[in-house]
Amino acid sequence: MDFLELLNFYVIPGIVIGSIYALGAVGITLIFAILRYAHLAHGDLATLGAFVALAVVSGLGVSPLAALPVAIVATAAVAVGIDKVFYEHLRERPKIVTVMASLGIALMIRSVVQVFWGVDTQTYVRGIVRPEDYFGLRIRDREIYTVLAMLLLVGALQVFLTRSKWGKAMRAMSDNPNLALLSGIDNKKVVVLTWVIAGGLCAAAGFFLGLNTELKSLMGWSMLLPVFAAAILGGVGRVEGAVLGGLIVGVAEELSVLWIPSEYKAGMAFVILLFMLLVRPTGLLRGKVL
Amino acid sequence: MTALLAMEEITGGYGDADILLDVSLKVGKDEIVVIVGPNGAGKSTAMKSVFGLLTIRGGRMMFDGDNITGWAPNRIVQRGICYVPQVDNIFREMSIHENLEMGGFLKKGDLSAAFDRVYTLFPDLKERHKTLAGSLSGGQRQMVAIGRALMLDPKLLLLDEPTAGLSPKYMEQIFQICRDVRDTGVAILLVEQHAKQALAFADRGYVLAAGKNRHEGTGADLLADREVAEMFLGG
Ligand SMILES: Nc1ncnc2c1ncn2[C@@H]1O[C@H](COP(=O)(O)OP(=O)(O)OP(=O)(O)O)[C@@H](O)[C@H]1O
Ligand SMILES: [Mg+2]
Repeated sequence: MDFLELLNFYVIPGIVIGSIYALGAVGITLIFAILRYAHLAHGDLATLGAFVALAVVSGLGVSPLAALPVAIVATAAVAVGIDKVFYEHLRERPKIVTVMASLGIALMIRSVVQVFWGVDTQTYVRGIVRPEDYFGLRIRDREIYTVLAMLLLVGALQVFLTRSKWGKAMRAMSDNPNLALLSGIDNKKVVVLTWVIAGGLCAAAGFFLGLNTELKSLMGWSMLLPVFAAAILGGVGRVEGAVLGGLIVGVAEELSVLWIPSEYKAGMAFVILLFMLLVRPTGLLRGKVL
Repeated sequence: MTALLAMEEITGGYGDADILLDVSLKVGKDEIVVIVGPNGAGKSTAMKSVFGLLTIRGGRMMFDGDNITGWAPNRIVQRGICYVPQVDNIFREMSIHENLEMGGFLKKGDLSAAFDRVYTLFPDLKERHKTLAGSLSGGQRQMVAIGRALMLDPKLLLLDEPTAGLSPKYMEQIFQICRDVRDTGVAILLVEQHAKQALAFADRGYVLAAGKNRHEGTGADLLADREVAEMFLGG
């Protein structure tokens, strides 16, 4: 196999799926940084985002990319709502209670998706899209959109966290919640903000997964393990780490089929997760909140 | 003396057990008041009780004419009390400048006057304003912590062992800063491990032991008191 083949069939698809994992992992990392628990409903929230976009595409007849903003806003709203209704009053309880609750929410969201959209596989656009040729590199437009959108969204988030007053308040809350409170930072607002961002990114992850593969009610759930592996690999609490982790997990999964049967591809995330937890539990970029 | 802060017979603790037993103390405008006492006496707890960070079962907290017992921390901060806890009193992963900015979080509008005031008190911080607070030395961290608490221009500053673990040089510097801050019209209540030096520089002091008031008086009186000297100042 030559080098171009390696890039075309393994590395480029790896970067694309890795970008999708990155979008999910950034949310996981933010939620952990602020609220200090693992959010297991993240995958199914992504599924919901993907199907909301589908509803907009088929309902209004717009292009998938035009439906993305709607899906982001709607999913962000749902995330805030779920927190208000289910997680908020568990705040003072041990964190494991919320983790288990989020597992229940995951099943609930999945059921809602199945009730509204059924269990069959669906797509945003029918037909096969042929990749364009860029000096031997074969890339589809949607793959370019996926990577660009990830960079754009995460870039915007970084600017928000480092430049804006409320972004800094989020970092302060993650850094030292007690002192943030003593500085007069309203933690309720920070929590809402966290869910808006995590929910929005989650919708984007689901949308691009649907755009590059297909939509089905289990799509998000099966993304949960690689997304957690990515967040831990990058160092929990680190946005740039989650991006790096997502890309590594994505490329590693694709490359793994060179050695192991492709049915076991999903196991790569598990292997990476185990390896990191054993060797360097704080992640590649030292995690901030562990 | 019209008291700015009056802690009136506060009783309370973290769980079911009471740590503070009828603790009372006052801080007047423009005063530096120090709390001394053995380890575990409840000095930090007394400070936390101002912000309601424990269960208060008796007594009340008066500040500047308001009964602030049970107020949310951000409301108390807004009202004019800023607090530097004994430990974890900076945002480690944020720059010096961002630490100060978070201190001024509740201020509406421009912070530049507040930054100027703090940077004038701590010229070292201005030079290194982009440095991560977590990478600073103990003394400099303490300055960031105090600077953060000064950003809102409080009426009363609570400092819990600001000189713990610092060299005598830094200790003197922190005491000098307390005087400078007081001279700008801010009252200070501080807890000190270095009891002798603190009583020598404070206007008044309280000796706390086992969660109760034991002695109170001017710094000089307490220093001269034989019982206080023998029991709490190491002879
Ligand atoms: N968060 C907490 N939860 C439960 N008990 C606590 C807590 N903080 C302090 N205590 C207990 O309250 C008592 C008083 O502690 P406090 O920290 O107020 O003492 P202190 O006078 O500040 O001591 P030090 O000089 O060591 O700082 C101690 O018995 C301590 O074990
Ligand atoms: Mg103490």
